[in-house]
Amino acid sequence: MIAVIAQLGVSLLSILALAWLAKLLNLGGDLRIRDEDHARALAQEAVYGFVATDIVIDRAGMGALLKDAQGRQMLLRRHGAAFVGRLLDRRLEARLDQNFLTIGTGEKTFGSITLNLGDAAQYWAAGLRHVPA
Amino acid sequence: MTIPNLPNPIDYAVPGFILLIIIEMIWAKRRAPEKYEPKDTLTSLAFGMGSTVAGLFVASGVIAVSLWAYDFRLMTIPFAWWAWIICFFIDDLAYYAFHRSAHRVRWFWASHVNHHSSQHYNLSTALRQTWTGFFAISFIFRVPLLFLGFHPAMVAFIGAVNLIYQFWIHTEAIDRFPRWFEAVMNTPSHHRVHHATNPRYLDRNYAGVFIIWDRMFGTFTQEVKDEPIRYGIVKQLGTFNLLWSVFHEWVGIAQDVWTAPWRHKLGYIWRQPGWTHDGSRETSDTIRERWQEEQAWKSSTSSSSAADPVAAQPQAG
Repeated sequence: MIAVIAQLGVSLLSILALAWLAKLLNLGGDLRIRDEDHARALAQEAVYGFVATDIVIDRAGMGALLKDAQGRQMLLRRHGAAFVGRLLDRRLEARLDQNFLTIGTGEKTFGSITLNLGDAAQYWAAGLRHVPA
Repeated sequence: MTIPNLPNPIDYAVPGFILLIIIEMIWAKRRAPEKYEPKDTLTSLAFGMGSTVAGLFVASGVIAVSLWAYDFRLMTIPFAWWAWIICFFIDDLAYYAFHRSAHRVRWFWASHVNHHSSQHYNLSTALRQTWTGFFAISFIFRVPLLFLGFHPAMVAFIGAVNLIYQFWIHTEAIDRFPRWFEAVMNTPSHHRVHHATNPRYLDRNYAGVFIIWDRMFGTFTQEVKDEPIRYGIVKQLGTFNLLWSVFHEWVGIAQDVWTAPWRHKLGYIWRQPGWTHDGSRETSDTIRERWQEEQAWKSSTSSSSAADPVAAQPQAG
């Protein structure tokens, strides 16, 4: 029993050491959405067949909102050294504060993100009232 | 028959795992820092440790089932050199069957999805192992070996060796091996395809050690050089929350079974991931079908434009 506990203790220390090393080496980098083409490609990766026709990107490149021809809207946001996307539906929560639009998908573990959309924030906030059920 | 006292090979392999992860991190630092993400690495390694702990809890159950099945064996296969080789091959075939089911039956997927939910593909991903394999009764795929007459100790040892082989193929640091090796063995290139979410790669390359099973059963796909691979699952988790990462698909099954009409409830357990009775979600098959239609359309457009470039151009109204 003591041997098993010792083995688990060593495993835990090794795990923490490796995660610390990854941080020390600054792995992961600082990914941002570069431009509309990048956002479009990320959206297509997130939901196959989503061809964005209207795009707004957060000023810092941390996320984006996109619409397609079918009226679907997608939220893209950074997740570590990758991006994740969700189609928005009626569960979404949105709050507008001048140029800042805070959006939650209604999915607890996905969290929410505040996007700095500049002058486009109001237009996109209004558009969120029309997401599909 | 004398039963040798076999060690657990994974205990001996762990220091090698750690060393190789460090080497791969240094490679990533120089070549592609985005290949690793500290929080993702921590989650993957925590999966590995949790899986070990879960294994300790269920070990007695697995041993009991194994010995029970061995009691009904067709013959008694000795611990001879040839038996080890045959056992290794049959075990790898059993692994193929398990792995294919783990992607095509949601009940098994709920456990196996843990291994795929990282958006990164590196050696730490290899250690991203399930906590709920015993609950999902995944071990039944190895029971035929026991019925055949391979001793449980041999089957357990071989299973561990199979798992160790699969560790080193979880990397982007290695491109391709010589053709003869790629033809027979599972390699980083083949397994990258397996972890990809690109429509062309979904549910392909289930092999453990020998890629021949995929070639034999029609599930093999070659890695394409000019298409970047995206890793993870069709609906990416978007969280590093360990407990949600472990149990999210089980929660999904429970919710779907609870809300589904009675005659469809079982479908949410035994049908493929993404299946719904109303067709409101997509399976890997439907995604691939749409992709294939798109490819066919693109190739027909390009061939017609090659034959008659003017006619193929969109005409202004």
